[in-house]
Amino acid sequence: MRRVALITTSAFFIVAVSLFIGPRIINPFAMGATGSRIIMSIRLPRLIIAMLMGSALGASGAVLQGILRNPLADPYVLGISTGAALVASFGLLLGSSVFGYFTIPVLAFIGAVVAGILVGAIGYKRGGLWPERLLLAGVGLGFLFYALLMLILSISTNEGIRRALLWIFGDLSMSDWVLIPYGFVFISAGFVLALWRAKGLNALMLGDEIAHSLGFSPNKERTLLFLSVSLMTASSVSLGGVVGFIGLVIPHIIRFLVGADSRILIPMSAIAGGTLLCVADTIGRTVAAPMELPSGIITAIIGAPYFLYLLRKKGILGEQ
Amino acid sequence: MGIIELRNISFSYGVDNFIDDLSMSVDSGKFVGIIGANGSGKSTLLKLTAGILRPAAGRILLWGKSIYDYRGKDRAKLLSYLPQLLDISIPFTVKELISMGLYPYDIMPELSPEEAVSMVGLEDKLFSPISELSGGERRRVYIAMTLLQGAGILLLDEPLANLDVKYQIEFIRLLRELRREKDISIIMALHDINMAFRFDELYVIKEGRIIASGVPSDVITAELLKEAFDIDLKIFDQGNGMVSFGY
Repeated sequence: MRRVALITTSAFFIVAVSLFIGPRIINPFAMGATGSRIIMSIRLPRLIIAMLMGSALGASGAVLQGILRNPLADPYVLGISTGAALVASFGLLLGSSVFGYFTIPVLAFIGAVVAGILVGAIGYKRGGLWPERLLLAGVGLGFLFYALLMLILSISTNEGIRRALLWIFGDLSMSDWVLIPYGFVFISAGFVLALWRAKGLNALMLGDEIAHSLGFSPNKERTLLFLSVSLMTASSVSLGGVVGFIGLVIPHIIRFLVGADSRILIPMSAIAGGTLLCVADTIGRTVAAPMELPSGIITAIIGAPYFLYLLRKKGILGEQ
Repeated sequence: MGIIELRNISFSYGVDNFIDDLSMSVDSGKFVGIIGANGSGKSTLLKLTAGILRPAAGRILLWGKSIYDYRGKDRAKLLSYLPQLLDISIPFTVKELISMGLYPYDIMPELSPEEAVSMVGLEDKLFSPISELSGGERRRVYIAMTLLQGAGILLLDEPLANLDVKYQIEFIRLLRELRREKDISIIMALHDINMAFRFDELYVIKEGRIIASGVPSDVITAELLKEAFDIDLKIFDQGNGMVSFGY
């Protein structure tokens, strides 16, 4: 419990401090009109979106590694992000602005949801979702979507495609207040669903037969948890593109620090994922200003060495 | 009437019946063995008894009521099942895993995880990751989880597989103690006939049918072993209830 409190408090301070750091450092005690405008209209919405996206990815990773019983699973392994990228790029190629300002997020959300439904449909057999089928369906469809995406990008000279490319690699520069309520509602719904079924997720990790013996219906639990992951991943991708690494590695690090119980692992992975993306975004928009570095690259550069250290030193995958 | 009863159960994985018109009944506090060769239907029979598989015909009654009419949580308070393979890739600690036995309960029952772990003799491993335990210790951890679950019927599929003789004997001793102290009925599938005489009741199964049942000393004969395992064995009575097998 001490570690939970420590991580939560540290996360709060890191996020709060990152708000005032950027190409221009702002003194929170003497902001002035320009400083407060920068905070309110640029940095705060961007920070909230980074927190929402990172939390969704961290929590999704924790859930997905459990339901697939695979430590290599991350939210993107299900092909949901590639589905989102494909539909968004296709819409942009056709010059669609059917949803106005929301065109990219809405198209991405539609793509993610359709991909999620397809993966779920292929992973479904004899009254339930099968972990191996889900995983293979996700990988297979992901490859197909990726090939189609590359086809679209390679034959296109459209300006919209350049925007799509930027977005695919994780772009928070378009963040503003308008998107936040939608992202918040969908991600919260997925998060609450995951927390509600956290005991079922723990039981599923012991195998379907033991989960049944403990009073759970493995098929029902897996379906609800898959829905939760799909909702969180689709919303995260729609908000700011594809940010890798968080969903894969944050759950491992948090599991090592606070244990494997999903009731603690899911919220702590959300907090750590959100904080890491916040920090990555702060670094990305600061170090090479006025140019911005994609957040996905920074998250990997910060997190990968620590993850590899833990892997080498502590055996975080549970091996002897 | 037994606390768990199988009435005329048939089950198939494909076209032919794998379990064929099988009936059995287990009373409270009994230590029951199901023996048979590989592929004879022991594991399938346990999964049917646990309600994991559904029979094509027949009824499974838990305390006189169809096992499928129970809510999952209510069933879990009466009956628990442990499969043969206890693989796990997530690094739970002993305490985290044992505590899952409390999931069917909204109110904390009397037994605590600390007490359950001491009943299986692993109190010094409470905070160890499962991955650091030996095969025998891991199985005892799962048994502690079922103790916390508080079910009166424990179904164990080949729990002695991969354990050396010392752990096999210790494990059987532990189960007999638990049965005596907590009046638990234990139904265990195994293919090792050396352990057969440890049970109160024995069912011998071949090709999905029970070919003999009763007190082990009455049931185990050279002819029956020939039929069930297709091997000629001699049985030597060592006196004081012990036997040995020769070939």
